[in-house]
Amino acid sequence: MTAILVLLGGPLLAGLLSLVIRRARILHGVNFTSMAAIVAAEASLGHRVLTEGPVTALGDFVYVDALSAFILFIIAVIGLSCSLYMWSYMDHHLARGTIGPKRLSRFFFLFHMFLLAMVAATMANSLGVLWVAIEGTTLATTFLIAFFRTREALEAGWKYLILCSVGIALALFGTVLTYYSSVRVLGDVSTALNVTKLLEVADRLDPHVLTLAFIFILVGYGTKVGLVPMHTWVPEAYSEAPAPVAAMLAGVLETVAVYAVLRSKTIVDRAIPSQFAGDLLILFGLVSFALAALFVLIQHNYKRLFAYSSIEHMGLAMVGFGVGGPVGTFGGLLHLLNHALAKSLAFFAAGNIHRRFDTLEIGEVRGLARAQPLTAAAVLVAGLALTGLPPFALFSSEVLVVSALAAQEFASNTLQLGQFLTVTVADEARSLGLVAVFLLFGVVLFGGFVYRVTAMVWGTPPDHVARGEGWGMGQVPLIVMALMLVALGVAIPEGLKTLLDHATTVLLVR
Amino acid sequence: MPAIDPHIGTQLVDLCSALLLLTCFAIVAQRRLSACVELFALQSGFLAATTALVAFLTGIHHLYLAAAMTVLIKGLVIPRILKKVIERLNVTRELQMNVNVPAGLLICGALVILAFFITQPIIPLGFLLTRDSLAIALAIVLIGFFTMIARKKAVTQVVGFLVMENGLFLGATAAAYGMPLIVELGVFFDVLVASLIVGIYTHRIQDAFDSLDTSQLTTLKE
Repeated sequence: MTAILVLLGGPLLAGLLSLVIRRARILHGVNFTSMAAIVAAEASLGHRVLTEGPVTALGDFVYVDALSAFILFIIAVIGLSCSLYMWSYMDHHLARGTIGPKRLSRFFFLFHMFLLAMVAATMANSLGVLWVAIEGTTLATTFLIAFFRTREALEAGWKYLILCSVGIALALFGTVLTYYSSVRVLGDVSTALNVTKLLEVADRLDPHVLTLAFIFILVGYGTKVGLVPMHTWVPEAYSEAPAPVAAMLAGVLETVAVYAVLRSKTIVDRAIPSQFAGDLLILFGLVSFALAALFVLIQHNYKRLFAYSSIEHMGLAMVGFGVGGPVGTFGGLLHLLNHALAKSLAFFAAGNIHRRFDTLEIGEVRGLARAQPLTAAAVLVAGLALTGLPPFALFSSEVLVVSALAAQEFASNTLQLGQFLTVTVADEARSLGLVAVFLLFGVVLFGGFVYRVTAMVWGTPPDHVARGEGWGMGQVPLIVMALMLVALGVAIPEGLKTLLDHATTVLLVR
Repeated sequence: MPAIDPHIGTQLVDLCSALLLLTCFAIVAQRRLSACVELFALQSGFLAATTALVAFLTGIHHLYLAAAMTVLIKGLVIPRILKKVIERLNVTRELQMNVNVPAGLLICGALVILAFFITQPIIPLGFLLTRDSLAIALAIVLIGFFTMIARKKAVTQVVGFLVMENGLFLGATAAAYGMPLIVELGVFFDVLVASLIVGIYTHRIQDAFDSLDTSQLTTLKE
């Protein structure tokens, strides 16, 4: 109970406090304290979920099972490292005069509201509240993306606001349809959107309505995840947002949006006997993976490069969840965590590079290894990890997803996409084809990434660029996250593994 | 329980929903920005009337609250914000469109047919007197979506988004006599904040670009 209050009250209180504080040091202190409290609360809540099973609290408003606890874990870890990183990032901009103390207060206020919305989305019992919270993240982050108020930043923020609002308006229609079918069965209007209730009666819900509902929900939240073809806001927002915000968007926000899709999927899967929801996820996932890989090849802006890699990795995770089964689901969940770590590391490093070189162009960044050795190492680790090389953690989760895909047994020769589209493919050809597509685009991606990243690391830095790493609080998360990426690639700690196993069980229906 | 014959009740609800749909077409046909905003306010009025009617017919009291909120927020506050934006920016007409008015109206007609086609298999499942409005609700959502794509001015795009929201609310009423109260309040809050943000944004975009034409927002192309 205390843990839940800390998780919801921490960001709220810290956000309101930020509005009245003007001193940068105190702002950072408040931010760090609240993040540390969230981590502690998450740890105790996670422990309770593992020992006693799902927790419901505050009437029926809060429902935390292993899946929510796992997503909360990602929010807490990335949030804490962001709060450390912002210590030097924001101070740099203050010292430079890009932003004034008043803007810094606002930044922290919006940042905490963003966190609050994500925590609320993960713990909400009602699918309606989940929707409200996810729309809340859009509203809180649009000015964070446009924080530097340049023309490009305004453009990115506006696009993000419009596209994501429209996208998730469609998700609300899906939610309404879910409600349509559940009210019929439950009869009780006030709780008919509650996850706990929906799971009880899921097998009695009408499959036709849920098919339609899931299409709307996937397109809606898929916009927020950044799946192709609803991905157009992603590269813009990620390249214009301040680095810590980009790290939160890529690492956490996408994860929370995936969570929203997964929650609906668990319900839909029980109502619809076919592989419908899974097939749809595989389709969107594969298209995103392949197209993002091609776009990686032509990027000359390193933040956009990382943005496309996010689309690609979310596609991969979606394929994992789509294939399902213990292996695919476990792989997908693990991939969400690994991606969050690698991507926030990448954006932290990108923020360091941007501050030193004053450019986002890959072509103008040279000799990173001499100018900023630690950042260079971080970019290399993040870059190689993101291409899925061993010994980094993403290798193991990618292998899990691809092997699940290869081992998948198809129920029939037809790919049923609702009542709208049916595609017939022979079983073996499909299995082989899917894996081949994966490997092909994996190689494309590897080439593109390694080429771009190494180009920045080696060589002699331009004369106007100062040499030597600027040591400060902001470098701590770089070291820690790089180490975590390697450590998770070697072995998953026992507690985390149990949490992942439980979360996988939540998602497995059959 | 209702004082009116349920059959007549159903027809009244259908009539109100049809009026909502009609205002959508009027918005698509309208070039004057302030008229678009007024039409949106009118549409919100019809939405509130529909909600109140359903509340009266079913005796579900929290729908009265939703109707009152609709009038207050979507009928009065948001149109006022948008009017202010239009005044401040000194733009009165939508001159550039991606799709012209006659073609737009034809597409909207097609969208209505599409909405009826999509919802046709699931409508008979409903047992409520409002169930037929579900198709109209989807049609309104789609037309709102189309308006956002078809128009270039930020204000009209926002009106399109708000029209989508109205469609969603009609959908919720049609599907299940409204969503749980906390969800409805949350959605109202989100919509209100979204319009405030849009107000601030238009100001900043105007400052930075000297125009409110979102087609100028193309610096970030591949």
